[in-house]
Amino acid sequence: MAGVTLNNIRKTYGTLPAVDDVSLDIRDGELLALLGPSGCGKTTTLRMIAGFVAPTSGTVKFGERDVTRLPVHKRNVGMVFQGYALFPHLTVAKNVEFGLRVRGWDKPKIAARVIEMLRWVQMESMAERSPRALSGGQQQRVALARAMANHPDVLLLDEPFSALDAKLRTQMRTEIRELQRQAGITSVFVTHDQEEAMAIADRIGVMSHGKLEQLGSAEDLYKRPVSRFVAGFIGKCNFIEGRVTGPGRFEATNGSMLQFTGAHAGGAAALCFRPEHAVLTQSGTPGNSMPVTVKAVTYLGPVTEYDLVSEAGDRLLVSASSSGEGAPKEGDKLSVDWRIGDAFVVD
Amino acid sequence: MSAGGMREDRNWGGSALVLPALVLVAAFLLAPLALILRYSFDKYDPVKLMLGVFSPGNYVLAVADPFYQKVLTTTAGIAALSTVIVMLLAFPVAYYISRLESQRLRGWLIILTMLPLLLGNAVRSAAWMIVMGTKGVANSMMLGAGLIEEPIKILYTQTAVVIALVSVLLPFAIITLQSVMDSIPTSLEEAGQSLGHSPLRTVFGVVLPLAMPGVVAAAAISFALAMNAYATPVLIGGPTIKMMGPAVYDQIAKANNWPFGSTLACILMLATLLLTVLSTRFLSRKYF
Amino acid sequence: MGGLSLGRLAFLSLVVAIFAFVIAPLLTIVWVSFFSEKILAFPPTGYTVTWYARASEMADFYNGFVMSLKVGVCATLASLAIGVPAALAIERFPFPGRETIRQVLLSPMYVPAIVAGAAVYIYFIELEILTTFQLAATFSGLVIAHTLVALPWTLRLVCASLVSANTVSEEAARSLGANALQTFFYVTLPIIRPGMIAAAMFSFIASFSDLEKSLFLVGPGKTTLPIAILNYLEWSLDPTIAAVATVQILIIGTALIVSDRFVKLGKVF
Repeated sequence: MAGVTLNNIRKTYGTLPAVDDVSLDIRDGELLALLGPSGCGKTTTLRMIAGFVAPTSGTVKFGERDVTRLPVHKRNVGMVFQGYALFPHLTVAKNVEFGLRVRGWDKPKIAARVIEMLRWVQMESMAERSPRALSGGQQQRVALARAMANHPDVLLLDEPFSALDAKLRTQMRTEIRELQRQAGITSVFVTHDQEEAMAIADRIGVMSHGKLEQLGSAEDLYKRPVSRFVAGFIGKCNFIEGRVTGPGRFEATNGSMLQFTGAHAGGAAALCFRPEHAVLTQSGTPGNSMPVTVKAVTYLGPVTEYDLVSEAGDRLLVSASSSGEGAPKEGDKLSVDWRIGDAFVVD
Repeated sequence: MSAGGMREDRNWGGSALVLPALVLVAAFLLAPLALILRYSFDKYDPVKLMLGVFSPGNYVLAVADPFYQKVLTTTAGIAALSTVIVMLLAFPVAYYISRLESQRLRGWLIILTMLPLLLGNAVRSAAWMIVMGTKGVANSMMLGAGLIEEPIKILYTQTAVVIALVSVLLPFAIITLQSVMDSIPTSLEEAGQSLGHSPLRTVFGVVLPLAMPGVVAAAAISFALAMNAYATPVLIGGPTIKMMGPAVYDQIAKANNWPFGSTLACILMLATLLLTVLSTRFLSRKYF
Repeated sequence: MGGLSLGRLAFLSLVVAIFAFVIAPLLTIVWVSFFSEKILAFPPTGYTVTWYARASEMADFYNGFVMSLKVGVCATLASLAIGVPAALAIERFPFPGRETIRQVLLSPMYVPAIVAGAAVYIYFIELEILTTFQLAATFSGLVIAHTLVALPWTLRLVCASLVSANTVSEEAARSLGANALQTFFYVTLPIIRPGMIAAAMFSFIASFSDLEKSLFLVGPGKTTLPIAILNYLEWSLDPTIAAVATVQILIIGTALIVSDRFVKLGKVF
């Protein structure tokens, strides 16, 4: 087994680029999530790794092996499809066995492997059942066993949890994560659910309009997003519009001079901070605060969210532990304060 | 199954709308069929036309008489051969149409497939006669290319009938198979390929087993249509090839032997009925 | 599914070859109809359109064409007149035995043409003997038989239209005070109009191209176009008959294309 390398992958349909110059280095044994809204190109990218879509340009490598021109059935991938795609006319055991038939193994060896795989996903008691008799979670386990039976080089999962209900999702994603770790197989999964990606992926590749916006761990993406899209897509984020006037210096549209950490070339930009990194105070510290009016208060139990609007019209959000008396109310004119270290700038 | 406001109380007025159609079919199809069923057990008389008896004599004649045995076996044999060839040709075409992504191309191909069907047997037979005659397109091209020295007899042979029948049956089979394949998700084929089976192997290992009910249904329909053919055996087969359809016409319209003609017609009817029931049963058996 | 590999090329060639097999006879007919020599020889010495004019002058073809047209139009109207109400009854008013009745009404499709033709012919004669009311060899008899041929198409297409049409609009109309008749004319009819047009086209096609039933039922001296073609073919094969056949191809092809505008044909079969 080895990692997967994508070099300048591009896929255009007519004049529209579905995937636009994506380069990606997936480490051996890691679980990488391709995350983004629908239409961002994540599924097309996955299908190019699998071989169902041929890239218009660029290369796909499994370790040292260049597989770009190889048809799917020669790539040795394992894939779990969105609807699981279990063969309805075959039993669970025969489903798992399917890929082994072309390997020229003898019958006992095949049978042993099938049992081994079913045991691994805890489905060996269902070996003779038909896929139609299984629940969603069970089907998914069989799909995983089937994909892994072949000793694939790479495991690919296409929105594997989207067909499950919320509770099952959380349970299955932890299970799949466990199984993937045990097997130590390089894996890529596609999702539009950022919580899912952050919960189980080693690293996340955020995509938008065919481009890879940022690749990094959940913490990297949350604390140091490189673009407005990533900042807004992962968790909630506050944006104050303005321009960068010098190193660490930012001028908001209402004229306030603010400070930030990190480097940024000059020009139009937005100063950002996360809702939980700010507090509401009576008077703010110059350089890292902004006067606001409270528009709405939403009590969410452990946390209360405050919808705010600045003089320049920026909509801001502060979330704080719910406190008792003295909590801000609608209409209050206050200041939102943040630590300079928590503020960053994006285009 | 739709429900709506008018349905809570059994609206007999509304369901009466079906009566005119029902009367027409009952009076002009079911009654005539019942009639010929009755006549099939009657006996022919040159003077009185029919004697009014009830005897299975005609049926015995149909299966025992060597001439009619030949008619039956020729018909069954040609129908079977045509069906096998049709299924082999229809499968790839149906698969292609089913997996097409362009809806426009699909629409056009379906029209193209249906067109020969709807022209009627006379026109289609005319076309084959032009192609297969001794002075027809096929012979002229082969003579011209130096492949043969004399025109070969294609028309008026069993081979010719099979070829012409295949062209009649193909559209039905293609359309039936294609709609069955539409219900087989492409993700299943992708799964097969991801597991190491080549695209061709996947078609045989995944698509074919799942499409089998459709294959059986299409084969049954094809066989029935081939068995009942009239214009094709007459025009393409000529007088030496004797099949059931022309035999029915000859007995009833030419020889005026209504009882025996009815017998032959009823044999065809029964066989067709069995095949239709078979095919409907198989079409309703779905995996999805 | 990957690019153009050798295997895929072979597959596409096979598909094209089979399509060519399906279409070739038709193209041949159209081609031959323009040959200048009456005796067919390939390759042809020249081309002409005179055969079309000749064909229209031949009584058999002209009368056959007119007869087929008349019967076709009558059968289409009759099939719509009884088929649309029947479809409505089946899809909108559940009554006991609904599915059986549906199969009964579709049965003309499953009865072999030659069998139905023979049966109806015998029946008409017997009816005449019994009641002196003649239907065999009459126009009305022919129309009745053709209506039977057309009915299953009408039923299938209008039923499909009704099934996919949302009954919500009809319920809304009722709740706004429309009675059953008004709802039908102002709401249901416009919704099923495409299905009805397709039904009309297919009914016409089914009637126009019918051969076996017409064989038994046309009167002496009368003929339909398919029968005229059949009779001619039993004697000779020349560009004239090709021209006539081409005309039939054009008529039916047009009807098909018109139907496709209204109902996606891929969904009907």
